[in-house]
Amino acid sequence: MAGLTTPSFAARAGHLALRWSLVVALFVSWELLTRSRTFTPFMLPSPQSVLERIWRDGSSGDLFINMALTIYRALAGFLIAAMLGVSIGLLMARNAGLRWFLDPVISVGFPMPKITFLPVIVLWLGFYDTAKISMVVFDAIFPILTATIAGVRSVEKELIWSARNLGARERDLLWQILLPAASPQILTGLQVALPIALIVAVVAEMMMGGYGMGGAMIQASRMADSRGVFAGILEISIVGWIFVKAMVMLRARLLFWHAQR
Amino acid sequence: MLLNKQERAGAGVWHEHTSMSGIVVEGLRHLYRPKRGAPVLALEDVTLSVGDQEFIALLGPSGCGKSTLLYLMGGFLPVETGLITMDGAPVAGPGPDRGVVFQHFALFPWKTVLQNVLYGLERQPLARGEREARALAFIKMVGLSGFENNYPSQLSGGMKQRAAIARTLAIDPKALLMDEPFGALDAQTRHLMQTELLAIWRRSPKTVIFVTHDVQEAVYLAERIVVMSARPGRIKEIVTVGLDKADPELTRSSAFAQMSDHVWSLVRDEAIKAQAGVGP
Repeated sequence: MAGLTTPSFAARAGHLALRWSLVVALFVSWELLTRSRTFTPFMLPSPQSVLERIWRDGSSGDLFINMALTIYRALAGFLIAAMLGVSIGLLMARNAGLRWFLDPVISVGFPMPKITFLPVIVLWLGFYDTAKISMVVFDAIFPILTATIAGVRSVEKELIWSARNLGARERDLLWQILLPAASPQILTGLQVALPIALIVAVVAEMMMGGYGMGGAMIQASRMADSRGVFAGILEISIVGWIFVKAMVMLRARLLFWHAQR
Repeated sequence: MLLNKQERAGAGVWHEHTSMSGIVVEGLRHLYRPKRGAPVLALEDVTLSVGDQEFIALLGPSGCGKSTLLYLMGGFLPVETGLITMDGAPVAGPGPDRGVVFQHFALFPWKTVLQNVLYGLERQPLARGEREARALAFIKMVGLSGFENNYPSQLSGGMKQRAAIARTLAIDPKALLMDEPFGALDAQTRHLMQTELLAIWRRSPKTVIFVTHDVQEAVYLAERIVVMSARPGRIKEIVTVGLDKADPELTRSSAFAQMSDHVWSLVRDEAIKAQAGVGP
């Protein structure tokens, strides 16, 4: 009976264990594979040695500098893309002329691999933050833009009419009605865009070099430091996991009014 | 207007005859233009005069253009041929003098019941405290006290429509335009809401235009029933109901049954036509 309302500690622990069992199994098989000596430690370093490497990078402070730089680039690019994407999306959704005019750019730009512009970006903006953040904006803006347009365009006509009926003017509609009404879809777009921002930040760092998690991994690869490479993969996956979870929490917080968040 | 300015200014008698107060529809014709396909004639030659504080039902089969007529009165759709006036002034867009209640409530889901009711009041020249007091009074009137801080997703269908009615009544419209407001509710809730609507209307009389396809609902609520034909929507007949709405036994009386039969006989042919695909 009690299990129906508040699950027991054992039940909750069981659930948690089941949920993470695949990740744990992956680690265990990694450990077993290294112990079986099928591969040399260079080809596949043991989990323990990789964790030791992460610990050492952490103690020296390198890990946090690289992590902070990558997170900064990903988040800065994401926020710029969010502001631009939502604003342009709102305008495009309300203005058929603008939509007509900009649609070809979006239809060509969205499926285009933006990484192909990297040499041009390097040529124009150099190797530093501006170039890397620009790459992030360039990639992350499209899912936000399209989600905003689709979200605003699907706002029920009756909702707009009832606002107009209650005395809302045309310019009130945009921020007071259309933006909140479209926010579930806009947030879905943002949830897609944030991992993209991290991916592009890391890839840009790998291609352009310098500090940052991607740069550190490329550096390790060049030095034939396979532990460093594996450490990088692990670190980036943890940052990605935190990003995804943070967005889920943000969504639940912003859409507390929504029936199915 | 069919008359020019000079004639209007000089014709005081004319003002009374065409009942300048209330809603007047003259020679209205409306083409519905779908994004794809040929335009459809939704309304043809609709002329109707609704008196101040009168309760009118627009009754007809689905697709007869009764909702279109309501939305034209609401100012949501442009009047192309003909004229609609409210208290003598042509309708040129949505306005708080004509409060609309929609079938699917159209509440703002990110706002609480209280915030929803306040939305219209915030656009009126009222002091903050006055707004709040007014909003709470109307929430109480529709029986939603205790649910002020609930979001629409936490309410049942009937409660949502109560909240929407409170939101519309709070801006004190002269006319209430209702588009099948109880159509999405279950039978019991529907009956309760009908009784309450009549009670509210008796307490604070307003012009009500009530769109429905339910004969009993129309007979129960309205003073006059405008029966519309299948597409293109025309006024087939206007029936004066003349029943005592205050009688609690009304729906069981023979007069009610006779009136319902009469109205149903008018609607039936149109419903069959609409079913046969002559309509939508």
